[in-house]
Amino acid sequence: MNDDELEESLRRAAELLDPVPVSLVEVAVEAFRFRTVDAELAELTFDSLAGTAAVRGPAQARVLGFGGPETGLDLEITGDGPSRRVVGQVTPAAHAVVEVRGGDPVSVSTDAFGRFTVDRVPPGPLSFRCRVGDAVFTTEWVTV
Amino acid sequence: MDIDSTGALFQAAAKGDATAWEALVGRLSPLVWSVVRAHRLIDADAHEVFQTTWFRLADNLTRIKEPDKVGSWLARTARHECLKVIRGSRRVVPTSDIDVLSPEADEHSPEQAVLEAEETAGREATLRGVWQAYEQLSDNCRRLLRVLMASPPPSYAEIAAGLGMAIGSIGPTRGRCLGQLRRLLA
Repeated sequence: MNDDELEESLRRAAELLDPVPVSLVEVAVEAFRFRTVDAELAELTFDSLAGTAAVRGPAQARVLGFGGPETGLDLEITGDGPSRRVVGQVTPAAHAVVEVRGGDPVSVSTDAFGRFTVDRVPPGPLSFRCRVGDAVFTTEWVTV
Repeated sequence: MDIDSTGALFQAAAKGDATAWEALVGRLSPLVWSVVRAHRLIDADAHEVFQTTWFRLADNLTRIKEPDKVGSWLARTARHECLKVIRGSRRVVPTSDIDVLSPEADEHSPEQAVLEAEETAGREATLRGVWQAYEQLSDNCRRLLRVLMASPPPSYAEIAAGLGMAIGSIGPTRGRCLGQLRRLLA
């Protein structure tokens, strides 16, 4: 077998022995219906797991920042087992409604300074939709 | 791969065409899966990274400036998510032969069923032999070859994005790794 034939054999072997799980393809197809079309997207601007300097143990918090100085969301995620604790603050610091998009969707009201806590967040893809005053924004997805 | 039609599918999906999105998912899921598999995460993490990658694309449909390069965008996004999962002290274990050789029944795709029906026992045994030889290669070779295995075959730009390697080093590494594989099969 030449290189191209050998590569094709590998491709056939992967299709047979390690195909994309059908359930995952279905989730990806479904993602279209749940996409954000009406809200501003707050990009991930800080992640304690980004970059090569990140060295941390499982007990430490993961710190995430989305958006900019005007509107955004800061998060601290702790816990390593089947459920996580998310502590966050919305910017501007005012009362807001925060929807968790992910494996266990839930909606919470923040205090007067935009602070909130959500417990028992399952591991997996996570995003937040925040409504503060007239502003609505959705964060980029992260894996927690 | 037909780059033009991938770009066209993306642009149609960005305009709200759900059928185009489904076709895009069908076309590029093997690339995303290959990149995730190349990073050898445990199954649960691999599934989560795959999902996050597609969720991100769905939310970024109207923001991506180069529709032709959506494959590279997905490959790069999947790679970054894999690296974060690895840095987050979550376990990375080799995919065991048993997991791969005995996939759960409900994860079989229709295509796979057809494939299996068409395969003669001998042909299937050959592919299993190729796979077992692949599993004996070095980490570097397994990483590159796993992404090369995506179907349709990925472009070198997509491979480079998915593995964070220089495009120029892909060809020589491919040749060396396929050579090692051939010797294992001899």
